[in-house]
Amino acid sequence: MGYDPANPMVDRITDIGPPHFEQFFPPVIKNNYGKWLYHEITQPGVLMHKSETGDECWTVRIGAARLVSIEYIREICEIADKHCEGSVRWTTRNNVEFMVDAKDKVKPLMDDLASRSNKFPVGGTGAGMTSIVHTQGWVHCHTPATDASGVVKAVMDELFDYFTSHTMPAQVRVALACCLNMCGAVHASDVAILGIHRKPPMVDHDAIAGLCELPLAIASCPLGAVSPTKATNSKGVEVKSVKVKNERCMFCGNCYTMCPAMPLSDPDGDGIAILVGGKVSNRISYPKFSKLVIPFLPNTPPRWPETVAAVKNIIDTYAKDARKYERIGDWAERIGWEKFFEKTGIPFTIHCIDDYRLAYDTWRTTTQFKFTSHIK
Amino acid sequence: MAKRDTPLLDELEKGPWPSFVTDLKRQAEKKPECWDILGQLELSYHDRITHWKHGGIVGVFGYGGGIVGRYSDLPKEFPGVAHFHTIRVNQPSSKFYNTAKLRALCDLWEKHGSGMTNFHGSTGDLILLGTTTDHLEPLFYELTHELHQDLGGSGSNLRSPACCIGKARCEWSCFDTQAACHGLTMHYQDELHRPAFPYKFKFKFSGCPNDCVAALARSDFAVIGTWKDDIRIDQAAVQSYIKGEFPSNGGAHSGRDWGPFDIQKEVIGLCPTECMWMEGDELKIDTSECTRCMHCINVMPRALRPGVETGATVNVGAKAPILEGAQFATLTIPFIKVDPESEFEELIEQIEKIWDWWMEIGKNRERVGETIQRVGLPTFMKIMELEPIPQMVREPRSNPYIFWQEDEVPGGFERDVREFRKKHAQ
Amino acid sequence: MALSTEDLKLAIIEKATKSPKPQLYIKDFYKCDPDSKPRVIKNVANELVREGELMFWSSGSTTMYARPDRIKNEETREDAEEHKDD
Repeated sequence: MGYDPANPMVDRITDIGPPHFEQFFPPVIKNNYGKWLYHEITQPGVLMHKSETGDECWTVRIGAARLVSIEYIREICEIADKHCEGSVRWTTRNNVEFMVDAKDKVKPLMDDLASRSNKFPVGGTGAGMTSIVHTQGWVHCHTPATDASGVVKAVMDELFDYFTSHTMPAQVRVALACCLNMCGAVHASDVAILGIHRKPPMVDHDAIAGLCELPLAIASCPLGAVSPTKATNSKGVEVKSVKVKNERCMFCGNCYTMCPAMPLSDPDGDGIAILVGGKVSNRISYPKFSKLVIPFLPNTPPRWPETVAAVKNIIDTYAKDARKYERIGDWAERIGWEKFFEKTGIPFTIHCIDDYRLAYDTWRTTTQFKFTSHIK
Repeated sequence: MAKRDTPLLDELEKGPWPSFVTDLKRQAEKKPECWDILGQLELSYHDRITHWKHGGIVGVFGYGGGIVGRYSDLPKEFPGVAHFHTIRVNQPSSKFYNTAKLRALCDLWEKHGSGMTNFHGSTGDLILLGTTTDHLEPLFYELTHELHQDLGGSGSNLRSPACCIGKARCEWSCFDTQAACHGLTMHYQDELHRPAFPYKFKFKFSGCPNDCVAALARSDFAVIGTWKDDIRIDQAAVQSYIKGEFPSNGGAHSGRDWGPFDIQKEVIGLCPTECMWMEGDELKIDTSECTRCMHCINVMPRALRPGVETGATVNVGAKAPILEGAQFATLTIPFIKVDPESEFEELIEQIEKIWDWWMEIGKNRERVGETIQRVGLPTFMKIMELEPIPQMVREPRSNPYIFWQEDEVPGGFERDVREFRKKHAQ
Repeated sequence: MALSTEDLKLAIIEKATKSPKPQLYIKDFYKCDPDSKPRVIKNVANELVREGELMFWSSGSTTMYARPDRIKNEETREDAEEHKDD
């Protein structure tokens, strides 16, 4: 018995939730659950976890695109069946982890991975870079200010050596969100690549009556920039519509989400901002937000050279200058943000100074500063 | 669907990182609608703008979440993606799979959709990318009947909870993050599938303060493992680190010569509370001064381990910047037991206190962290029936504008101005 | 005193039918009965969806409720426009 469109409610099953995780564990995980003693990254991309039972779990971590086909997943299955007793997992940062229960099983697995062109790069551990978490972009989103998968691919190609090595002072977490809504929650990343809009929404007076509820469109604006008005549509008929107070617009696109007759995307208006120095971990210092250091870079598909160069410059400068264990934000705070701008050569602009809510918290209220090239 | 020329996207087939373009082309051999994904994306690369729009009423019957409507704004040019909805499938806790399950998911998606996926979306769901409305009910039927799986959350629902790898493969997990994540997901199936709140609500579970699932940055209710007692020290292993027999930080720095390991500089000197010292050959830690930042444990995993009296800290109210600015979650409960035996009733009690209050006073599209900002942390603490403690703030307030309550002041607020005038001429 | 489930259903349907806005937030229904807890009202509204009296409308990030005959459907709208062209 399959689905019967004439009787969709017959035998309907709802609210069963996800399958229980335990059924997917390979034996070495199941047998040692809660018994792990310590771990060691024996080489970039390879982790060994030692259990109090004496068992060892060897994990090979590979980088992956987030946008993947079922053909790719079937290839993952083929590898997992061959080497890992049919078990595999994904990390929160879109890496894939293959686990085996003995050291001598690692090499055949790695050889197999390496034999499949560049599909399964091993790395993403320790004081290096791991996969960039990201959003949909032009592949599937209605409000993006940039693409996601393409920018990520271009940046990872350039920084690939950091993915396969442990040469940085600490781990570097890069994330991309394709608009200000940040469904990728990139606001606490070492480097955040953020799509931004710079032109206020247009109002389509021909379509607004059919597409939107005006009160919802008006209420959607966090800064009260959208207000009711009477307008004339292209047929010369007066219609109830809305207007936008451009000087109040913060370019968030909330109105467009509630009202498709208010598009704001634009080839020249849209682009990328770079934020740095955020982190989530409580290690040594408190978690930190990422700070905006480059307000705008243009959208330059297919490979976004300006964005790639900006991210590489920040990470290279940090890798050379920071102390062991220092995250990018810890480094920037120790040397001072004025030194950050001087060492990276990034121009400091008026857009780097906060004038949104809680802005005062970020202004400097001391006589302590460093004399850098900024002081003429 | 005809094959498309994609000269711009072809540039993304170069380079060492795995190419999603190559993968899409591979899928297009079996699923020709992928040529229209490529074609429309190529046009976006040319135009530097998206060609998607959204629509609000697609879903499976009785569910208010789990499916997000998506349409091409050039349906005639790209008929293969004219209607191209997203399906969120709730992932198993910490994303372990067996190949039988994965293959069944692939077969289901080959039958009912584009073949393209996200493994996984930012919140944690397994995302199936692109299908038409007529496939939604049959897919849901087969997902529930044959794969015994269910949809995840979207809209003003509880979103699919997520957790770190926890006790499955980590020595630091202070509670069973996977059991908690799964247990609460099952407990709140109604809230996950049907709208219940002013806006989205997220739970996330990290086993230790390293917070690998970023609970503190992005969940309304963040449960993060911690402990109360002494860090467990293996003094012999400490000596092995000092002698350079074990690599620092589990080998994380192996690619560069940072010089010989220096416990004073790399561990004791970086401790944020300066609560560690060497006494002869023994490493000492003053537990009462320790804030459990994990640095020393991260650097010397074979010598140091979290204590055994474990539980979790609950922080409330994180969110991404939209609308009021980004917020981290605020410390609400310093220590709570997280017990699968009690079916997590300690957490459930706290969650429902928040919900009952937020459902009533939260504004439309206001995350709970913003509601707390609006009413103030003291009001929220009263709702949560919590005693105020200094751990809830970084520092005391620096302004004197306290909202005194009438019952806090002797005699109350009502006074007689004529009595006042008898002693104080105008 | 709080309304009975049946009376609450009628009040919610009336609100969804007569409100100038076709799509309503769950909070808009709270006013149907100030004596009922938000959670009760939410459960009744969701039951009305199961009964076909209301349906969900979602922006992806926010979910609202509407009477099925008052809501704009992207797919039927497109069809209508296509027929218009014919």
